Amino acid sequence: MKRLPAGTSARAPRSLSTRLLLSVSALLIVFFGITIVALDFVFRDLSERAIRDRLEVQVLALLSSSEEVPGGGLRPEQLAEARFDNPGSGLYGEIVASDGEVSWRSNSLTGAGLAFPRQIRTGERRFGELRRGDGSAVLAYSMGIDWQFSDGTMRPFVYSVAEDLEPYYAQLRRFRGGLFGWFGALMLLLLGALALLLRRLLAPLRRVEREIEAIEAGSITEVGGGYPRELLGITTNLNALLNSERERLARYRNTLGNLAHSFKTPLAVMRNLLGGAQVRELPVARQLDEQIGRMDDIVKYQLKRAAASGGTGLGTAPVDVREALEALRGALLKVYAERGISCELLVSESCLFMGDREDLTEIAGNLLDNAFKWARRCVRLTAQRLSDPAARRDGLRMIVEDDGPGIPEAERARVLERGARLDERVSGQGIGLSVVRDLVQLNGGTVTIGASALGGARIEVRLPPT
Amino acid sequence: MRILIVEDEPSLRQSIVEQLQEAGFNVDAAADGEEGLYCGTEYALDLAIVDLGLPKLPGLELIRKLRAASKSYPILILTARDRWQDKVEGLQAGADDYVAKPFHFEELLARVQALLRRSGGWAQPVLRCGPVALDPRTQEVTVHGQRVELTSFEYRILEYLIHRAGEVISKSELTERLYAQDFDRDSNTIEVFIGRLRRKLDPDDTLKPIETLRGRGYRFALQRESAA
Repeated sequence: MKRLPAGTSARAPRSLSTRLLLSVSALLIVFFGITIVALDFVFRDLSERAIRDRLEVQVLALLSSSEEVPGGGLRPEQLAEARFDNPGSGLYGEIVASDGEVSWRSNSLTGAGLAFPRQIRTGERRFGELRRGDGSAVLAYSMGIDWQFSDGTMRPFVYSVAEDLEPYYAQLRRFRGGLFGWFGALMLLLLGALALLLRRLLAPLRRVEREIEAIEAGSITEVGGGYPRELLGITTNLNALLNSERERLARYRNTLGNLAHSFKTPLAVMRNLLGGAQVRELPVARQLDEQIGRMDDIVKYQLKRAAASGGTGLGTAPVDVREALEALRGALLKVYAERGISCELLVSESCLFMGDREDLTEIAGNLLDNAFKWARRCVRLTAQRLSDPAARRDGLRMIVEDDGPGIPEAERARVLERGARLDERVSGQGIGLSVVRDLVQLNGGTVTIGASALGGARIEVRLPPT
Repeated sequence: MRILIVEDEPSLRQSIVEQLQEAGFNVDAAADGEEGLYCGTEYALDLAIVDLGLPKLPGLELIRKLRAASKSYPILILTARDRWQDKVEGLQAGADDYVAKPFHFEELLARVQALLRRSGGWAQPVLRCGPVALDPRTQEVTVHGQRVELTSFEYRILEYLIHRAGEVISKSELTERLYAQDFDRDSNTIEVFIGRLRRKLDPDDTLKPIETLRGRGYRFALQRESAA
C-alpha cells in the first residue's frame, strides 16, 4: 500500500464557509492595505504642498514688507504673522546677506537651535526638511534674491522661513488613526455581513448534512424536499439512489424466492413420487430421499444467506421490534398450536432496530423456531436496544430461551457450524442456527450459546451499535 | 372430510390428490389462484391446502380473499419460500399452518389431520366420545377398547359425525362433504350407511350413539371427552 509522505498527511479540509471567510478576509486586508497606503501618500503629498505654499507666501510677505536699514541691511517693516515674534511659536524667519551677515532673525528663533542654509544662489528656491538642535524636524523654505538699494547698489540676500512639523505630524496621526479606524470597522462589518450571508446561503447544505446523518442513523428513510435548485440535483439523485437500493434488494429477494419456488417444487414432486413411508424402506428410495433432503438444505442455506441485506440498511425505516417479534410470535404459536407451548415476549420500551426488517425477522424466526422445537412448555424472548453515545445507530440484543434439554457445552460451538445437526430427528435444526450465525455476522454481531434459567438453551444475539 | 388443494404443478397436485383420497378424504383440486378462489368459496370445504406461488392469483391474496369471504375452515400453506417474513405474512393473512417444500406426504397428512381435529374443537389426537374412540392417524375405531371393523365409507361418515359431535348435520351436508362430485348422490345411501354404523358400533342397542332428528339430520350424541 502506498503511503502519503509525512507532512502531506490528510489535514481535515476546512469547511466551505471558513474557507470563504478566510479568503475574503485576506482579500479585504490586501485591498484596504493598498487603499490605506495610497490615501496616506496622497494626504502627505497634499499636506507638504500646502506647507510649501504657505512658507512661500510667508517668504514673499517678508520680502514685500522689507525695508532698507542703515548699513546695507534689510528687515521687515511690519510682520504679517505675529508668530514670528513669539518664541516657540513654531514659525521661524531669517534674512541673511549672502556674505553671512545676518540682517534679521525672528524672535521665535531664539533658542530654537535652527540653522538655515545660507549658500543659496540668487533666484534659487530650496524647500526641505531641517533638523533643530533638539532633533525635531522642521520644513524650511529658502529663496535667494538680489536687492537693489535706493543708492543703486545690488546685494544678494537669502530669505528663509521654517515651520515646525509637529502639528503636521499630529494631523497625519489623526488622519491615519481615522483611516485605520474607519477601514477596520468597515472590514469587520463586511466580514460580519458575509458570515451572516454564508450562514443563510449554506443553510440548505447543512440541512442535507443533517438529513444524511439521520439516514445513516436510520431515523429517516430519505432526504426531504424544498431544497434550492442548485441542490435539487443532489437530493433527488440521493433519494433515487436510496430508493433503487431498496428496490434492488426487494427485487433480488423476490427473485431468490421465485428461484426457491421453481427449484423446490420439482424436489417436492420427486419426494412425492417416492411415495409413502413403506416405499422409502427400499434402500434406493431412502438414498434418493436423503439426497433430496440434502439438496433442500443446501438451497435453503444458500438462499437465506444470499437474501441477507448485508447489514447496510441505508434508507430503511427503523423497525418496531415489538411489532415485528409479536407477528413472529403469533405465527409460531399458530404453527406449534399442537404443542401448547407458551411464549413470553419481553421487549424494552420503544425498542427500535436500525436495520433491515427481513434480517431481524429471519434471525428471530430461526431462533424462536428452534426454541419452540425443543421447548417442553415455554419459550422466552427478550429484546432490548443497545445504545452508545459515540455510535450513530443503536444496536439490539435478543435472548431466546427455552425449557428444553439445552445444548451441552461441548456441542455449543458445533451447532453454529454450517449444517451441523445435533439431532437428526428434528429437521432443519442445524440450518436454522447456522443461518442465524451468518446473518448476525453479516450485520456485524455475535451469537453466544449458554444455559437458561428456564432449564434449556439460552441463545444471545448481539448486534452492536455502529 | 372435503379438502381443496390449490397447486399449479400438475404432477405434485395429482400426487397429493391421490394420496389424500387414499387417506379417505374427498378431494377437490385447483390449478391456479382464481380457480382456487372459485372452489374455495363455492364448495363446502373442511380444509384447504394452498401453494403460495400460484399463477393468476398469488396464494397470499387467495387466502386473504377466502378469509374476507368469511370462510373459516383451516388453511394450510405449501411454500417453497423459506424466509420467515414469507411465512409470517402467510400466517397473518389467515393461514393456520405451513408445510415447506419438499415435504413427505406423511408430514402433510399429519398437519392436515391436526388442523381438522383442532377445527372440530378436539385437543387430543384420538377423538373420544364415551366408550367410542376414533384415531384419524390409523383410522382405527374402538368401542369399549374393542376394535370395530368399518368399510372406508362407513369410517368417513363416522369420522365426520364424531368430529362435529354434538352438532346436527344434515344429510345433504354429509353428501356434499363425503361424496366426490361424480358420485351417485342418492340420500338413501346415507341412511343405509348410518344404519350399518349403528349396528356395528352398538350391536345390543344400548349406547345409541347416532341420533336421527327427523327432517334435520343426524347428531353424534355421545358426550365428548374433553381431555385437558
